[in-house]
Amino acid sequence: MAEKEIRVLLVEDNPGDVRLIREMLSESRGFSFNLECADRLSAGLDRLNTPGVDVLLLDLGLPDSLGFDTYKKVHDRAPAVPIIMLTNTDDELLAVRAVKQGAQDYLVKGRVDGNLLVRSMQYAIERKRAEESLKKAHEELEIKVQERTAELRAVNSELEAFAYSVSHDLKAPLRAIDGFSQILLQDYRDILDKKGQHYLKQVRAGAQDMGQLIDDLLNLSRIGRQAMIKKPIDLKSIAQDAYSSLEHEWKDRNVSFKVKQCPPVPADPRLLKIVLTNLLSNALKFTRTRDKAKIEAGSKVEDKQTVFYIKDNGVGFDMKYSDKLFTVFQRLHRKEDYEGTGIGLAIVQRIINRHGGEVWAESKEGSGTTLFFTLGRCKP
Amino acid sequence: MNQRNAKILLIEDNPNDVELTLRTFEKYNLANEIAVARDGEEALDMLFQRRKEGAEHQMPDFILLDLKLPKVDGLEVLKQIKSNLKTKRIPVVVLTSSKEESDLVASYNLGVNSYICKPVNFEKFIEAVKQLGIYWLLLNEAPPMQ
Repeated sequence: MAEKEIRVLLVEDNPGDVRLIREMLSESRGFSFNLECADRLSAGLDRLNTPGVDVLLLDLGLPDSLGFDTYKKVHDRAPAVPIIMLTNTDDELLAVRAVKQGAQDYLVKGRVDGNLLVRSMQYAIERKRAEESLKKAHEELEIKVQERTAELRAVNSELEAFAYSVSHDLKAPLRAIDGFSQILLQDYRDILDKKGQHYLKQVRAGAQDMGQLIDDLLNLSRIGRQAMIKKPIDLKSIAQDAYSSLEHEWKDRNVSFKVKQCPPVPADPRLLKIVLTNLLSNALKFTRTRDKAKIEAGSKVEDKQTVFYIKDNGVGFDMKYSDKLFTVFQRLHRKEDYEGTGIGLAIVQRIINRHGGEVWAESKEGSGTTLFFTLGRCKP
Repeated sequence: MNQRNAKILLIEDNPNDVELTLRTFEKYNLANEIAVARDGEEALDMLFQRRKEGAEHQMPDFILLDLKLPKVDGLEVLKQIKSNLKTKRIPVVVLTSSKEESDLVASYNLGVNSYICKPVNFEKFIEAVKQLGIYWLLLNEAPPMQ
């Protein structure tokens, strides 16, 4: 199969060098070349205004241009044409600089034979083809990413509108249920016996619970959709902030809270505070029956990863139910013993997952619970 | 302004919420005259006398506004109230289910005087309405009417 003719543009002012190259190309076996010449940079640039050049041989020392400027002008005029610099021995540094800027190769005059020249040109052509192909793929990918981002934004927007609508429309009837039950309890107390009053109270409690569930679900949904801004965070100070915000839960109790200094990790500080507030709130809740509650927070390194933990000496749970721990609205304790809808850990898991990390727990009934989490694979 | 003579305009589409609010005002003697508009259009008609029938129309002293209204939306009603010379001084309290930040921002940008979220718990609702009534009708110095 005959190879296509390779069209070479040689920009070189020295006639001796031009003749040498012409000879080398005509002697080459297996390839056919069409050689065009220009003896000035301006002529070369003119030629580049029309297509039809597969590879360009460019002398660095042309009469109408000096040094690196030569390469830059040619490259700007024809960015898709592979360029090979031709240089004298004292110009090597300049040639290397050109290669760093995108020239495919450089050849030192006087040290080139036919084989080397042809090989260099073939290689330059193929490499440039690969580069262009990669650039095109990258551009196509960029477009796809933009399309996907636009799609995601639209979906997010829809979800937001949906959540907003849900909250408003589901809560209105609840107000009616709660309100009119309460009015019955107030205005019709005389004709309602104890049982009747109790039932009405249950109706109210049901409506209020549902209101809380709706709020919790909305919260979870909002957290899943919020933009994340990661910066290096100091877990100790966030934990201390979170603990302070829970003052009403430990104020009149005997609670010991210790936080160790942790290595900084990239995370969204606002979302991490939500995680720690939830975990510490749980720790405080489930240690309520202890004379002295002990809560510890810190980190350790395992498998080259930083693993954070919150440990308490509370009531604990049976590990055989541990896979239900992070499910929305799943609870492992009776509502009358420990309040809550069971959304806290679902929120924690959602945030940790968004950071690319994992969360898990270890517990022993009667001894306490430890919650562990990572914040994504960090580079060691 | 004597709270008993105060005229209130309640703009609310949900009939249950209307009933619960009216009952609370009545039961705790918070005001004498409460007019109700059931959608945004009716509210604007009442405020700007857009319908030519009816007796002489008096401006309310205080407006309770729900945001999600049929026909003309609550924020649009708020905008018109606060941009019209005849009505812009009337205190407007938004009483709504929405806690969405966008609604808060929009309402405050339009000059709302206060923003209250309707609780599901009726006792809390009563408490909120009572406090609103006592504050805006009794404690607050009413704007001079033209």
